[in-house]
Amino acid sequence: MITTRFPHRLIALSVVAASLLAAPAALADDLADIGYVDQSQLSALPAFQQADRELQTYGSNLQRQYIGRARGASQAQQQQLAQEFQSQMADKQRQILGPLFHKAQVAIASVASSKNLSIVIDKRIIVFGGQDITANVRDLLTGIGDPVPPVNTPPPSNVGYVDQAQIDALPSIKSAADDFAKFKADEDRTTATKLRGAKSDADRSAILKDYQSQLEAKQSSTLKPLIDKTKSAMSDVAHKRNLVLVVDRSNVIYGGTDITADVTAELK
Amino acid sequence: MRAFLAAAACVVLASCAHDAAAPAASPSAGSGGAVAYVRMDDLVKKHPLYGQLAQYDQNIEALDLTAFAPQAITAGPALQREEDALNAQLAAAAKRTNDLLQTKGRDYQAQEDAAIASALRAAAIPNGPSVAEIRAQLQSTANAQTAGVNAQAQTDLEAYRKQLEAQDLAQIGAAQRVLAARADRTYRAKAEELTAKEAAYTLTLANADAAERLSLRTKLSSLALDDEQRDDANKQLAALDQKESDQLAAMRATDQQQLAALKSQLRGQIDAEMRTQVAPIHARSVARFQERERELRQQFSAPGQAVTSGAPLLASNPNLPPDLRKRILALHADYMASFARDAKATIADFTKTRADLARRYAVLSGTDQSANQSAQAEIVALQKKRANLYAEMVDQIGREVKTVALQRGISVVVSDVAAPAGAVDLTDDAMKDIETLHE
Repeated sequence: MITTRFPHRLIALSVVAASLLAAPAALADDLADIGYVDQSQLSALPAFQQADRELQTYGSNLQRQYIGRARGASQAQQQQLAQEFQSQMADKQRQILGPLFHKAQVAIASVASSKNLSIVIDKRIIVFGGQDITANVRDLLTGIGDPVPPVNTPPPSNVGYVDQAQIDALPSIKSAADDFAKFKADEDRTTATKLRGAKSDADRSAILKDYQSQLEAKQSSTLKPLIDKTKSAMSDVAHKRNLVLVVDRSNVIYGGTDITADVTAELK
Repeated sequence: MRAFLAAAACVVLASCAHDAAAPAASPSAGSGGAVAYVRMDDLVKKHPLYGQLAQYDQNIEALDLTAFAPQAITAGPALQREEDALNAQLAAAAKRTNDLLQTKGRDYQAQEDAAIASALRAAAIPNGPSVAEIRAQLQSTANAQTAGVNAQAQTDLEAYRKQLEAQDLAQIGAAQRVLAARADRTYRAKAEELTAKEAAYTLTLANADAAERLSLRTKLSSLALDDEQRDDANKQLAALDQKESDQLAAMRATDQQQLAALKSQLRGQIDAEMRTQVAPIHARSVARFQERERELRQQFSAPGQAVTSGAPLLASNPNLPPDLRKRILALHADYMASFARDAKATIADFTKTRADLARRYAVLSGTDQSANQSAQAEIVALQKKRANLYAEMVDQIGREVKTVALQRGISVVVSDVAAPAGAVDLTDDAMKDIETLHE
């Protein structure tokens, strides 16, 4: 870790180049327990590409079937059909991608364990620093034989995570989200009609601006208080458990500290 | 449908996360280096290219709202219902006409029977009605009945004309919307392209002058500078700003000219295409209406011919005078032929109209769907451009954040945190650096 803090911004700017050159070695020791993986690189591996192709073919067929059956159906029937087809698609994805993801998870856990990482997160949310273990994971995935699961559990991490889906399912939050979704659907319809009648770009911009401000106002009145309350609950739990920050579960690939149950309890 | 593939993918990814990973351990000691975070959304909003990104978002949203897939699918049943309603109207009109023809047939039969009975009586009794009287009587009845059928036919013809007009308007309106939407998309795509180039050019100019500007600012911050030197540095800074502003203004002026030319060109294209599309629509409808009118005129153009049946009576009265017998047989033949023609033509006409309407509605529906498909393709293209631009912006922000993090001894910076807790917030510092890109 670079511990020297430059008191003067100008001086700091003048030595940035030198710091940049020295950074990799200087930081090496301090980036020990936070790793990240570039999932887009993993998804470019042949096995994933093949799976993707299979899914695309399946999805296209499903879409054709859906359109054929939805034509002439009522809106309620169309919704039901959409759910049915979504479910079929999800099943197929689980069937095709499930084993591949499992293998990738084992590889990530194995690399993370060997490097003593307490958490591995998605590269998308890493702005700077952290250990990139993508290459190690890729090697394990493309090597001979399946990767071996680690014996050890991840070391304790001061990065927490929450499963937002579970929090969103709480009655008060779900009710507010449903209310907002209904409002948005109504606004979508009204705005679509207005947009079709727009005669110029200026008209269109004004309509969209109005649409966005309506949504923002509704969001402020229905969702924002709950979002603030949830963030506050997360921060409280994080402080109690000595965590430095909390991220969403979808960004955590390995390790981390799950505080979803604590946050849910705090919100109830 | 478009959304559900993505949604299902998320389900799989989420369900697989943590499957193979060992359970998360309890918290305790922190990681080695200081951890910080940034609010990426706020930083993106301060980036010089944010205007362009917002423009993409707005266009995607507008397209999404006006041309999303479910609407294309609901257009099917809506059109089908409309078509069904028209078919029902046509079927009712056909039934009404058939009923009239049947009534006419029965009345003619009764008149014929009466006429033949009178003729027979006249043949046996010197004071009975003459053939001329019988013919006049039959003629009068036939005229009255034909006038009734004609009036009904005229009403049906008027309804048919209105239907044709409504269909024409719907078809022309749909064509107009498709053409206008296409031109609008072309124009907006060009405007976006030019705006993107302007934004990129602004950034290039700012980057090109950044070193000089920084040097001048550093110079200005020196207390040792005398008034003349300070004025000079300020003038140089102002000149730099002016130079960039002039270059950008020149580019914008050229772009505006290009857009104006494009708008005029697109308007011309729409007018030309509309003329090409409207003329055949009108011509088809006019021809259809005239054909229908002509057929109806032919059907009811000879009301003076008295029509009687009476073949059975003729058969049972072989001693009728030859003239009367001949006349009655001729009238009977005419009646049968007219009746058959009336019924056949009317039914065939309605069947044809119904089939024609179904075909035209299918065309209308097809027009809507192709317009929606084109909008979907454009949404995908815009989303791709948006993703590329966003990635470029985030990369640049990342470089600024890295500089700030190194200055402050931070080893890891993440974005999109759910809650910050004890981590350092670098957003404001990074924002200041990003704002200098605007200068």
